[in-house]
Amino acid sequence: MTPAQERRLREMRSRVLVRSYEYRQRRHARGAWYRLRQALALAKEAYLVPRSEAEKLVAEGHRPEPVGGELEPSRIIVFVPAARVARIAAARPVAVRLSAEVLGAEALALVPFPPGPGNA
Amino acid sequence: MTFRDRLIATIRAARPVLESPGVLVVGSEVPNLLEEGTAATLVVSQDLDIGVPVSQHRPVRDRLEALEEFEPSADEPSVWTPRSPGLLELNFVGIDPAQDPAEAYVYEDDRLPLLVFGALSLVSRGAEIEIEGTRLALPRPAGLLLEKLVTDRTGEKGERDLLVALAVLSVSTPADLDEVEVLYRGLRPDLRHVVRSNLTILSLLASRPGMPDPGPRRADVADLLRRLTAADPEAR
Repeated sequence: MTPAQERRLREMRSRVLVRSYEYRQRRHARGAWYRLRQALALAKEAYLVPRSEAEKLVAEGHRPEPVGGELEPSRIIVFVPAARVARIAAARPVAVRLSAEVLGAEALALVPFPPGPGNA
Repeated sequence: MTFRDRLIATIRAARPVLESPGVLVVGSEVPNLLEEGTAATLVVSQDLDIGVPVSQHRPVRDRLEALEEFEPSADEPSVWTPRSPGLLELNFVGIDPAQDPAEAYVYEDDRLPLLVFGALSLVSRGAEIEIEGTRLALPRPAGLLLEKLVTDRTGEKGERDLLVALAVLSVSTPADLDEVEVLYRGLRPDLRHVVRSNLTILSLLASRPGMPDPGPRRADVADLLRRLTAADPEAR
């Protein structure tokens, strides 16, 4: 085995070890990042909304995503239909990405992709 | 000289090994070869990955003499470097269908040692295409897509590799996606988690010049993520 091959094998095995750690952590704090990305990945659109508006959405029966409560400070992340978001005057669209805006939001309203392949 | 010209010239020059039994092209050039007219618009890497089933290593080794336009790299003998700048490197990788997808080993050989990455065990032989007189085999899209998603992706190269997965997803048929689900169900829970995790990363990637833009394909990624999550009791 050449030194280069040895190095590549070592690097790969290190990544597998990290991955095993992250998998074991998936239901704990470390897994929150995955759950946040999952919520965003299922969102066609994302909007920054005032916390008071997000609380109204929850009061209407829209279920907050548990991951919002796992973050510190906690925030409300809730999936709602596009038509409902359109009624929130203060809602501001943001790119669906792990950006400073999204991470710093006190509340996020997410519009889900409709089910079915290719439903943009 | 365009990247496509170099890719086509490389395929022509590598014909002796590409037409060896069992060999298939794997890696980032596959979407390029699947594009209409082999348009090769995705410039991810400057090499051509050649998958060699370990059971077929000997015939490939015997054909290396015919690779007149390449020579083995001194420090990485599974890489053959071109003698001319108009060609891409050849990167030989081993495929062992019996291997654990999370493991890797070196298939020792004094002429052509191979790094055998377990994720490639998910890849199986698919369509054959002909490019300017060279017949070469491609992997089935489902296996290639899953191979890209089950491998740890970190940093700049990791993101580009995920965009290759996106390119494969974009040419996948409903039957291919059914096959993805079947293969996915056969993975261990930790590997299924890696697949879903990589899909979430892919969905949130920014677009890059010369690469497929994840934006218009986010719905497809979300659909696959939902489907794999639903298929997995651990994920719900």
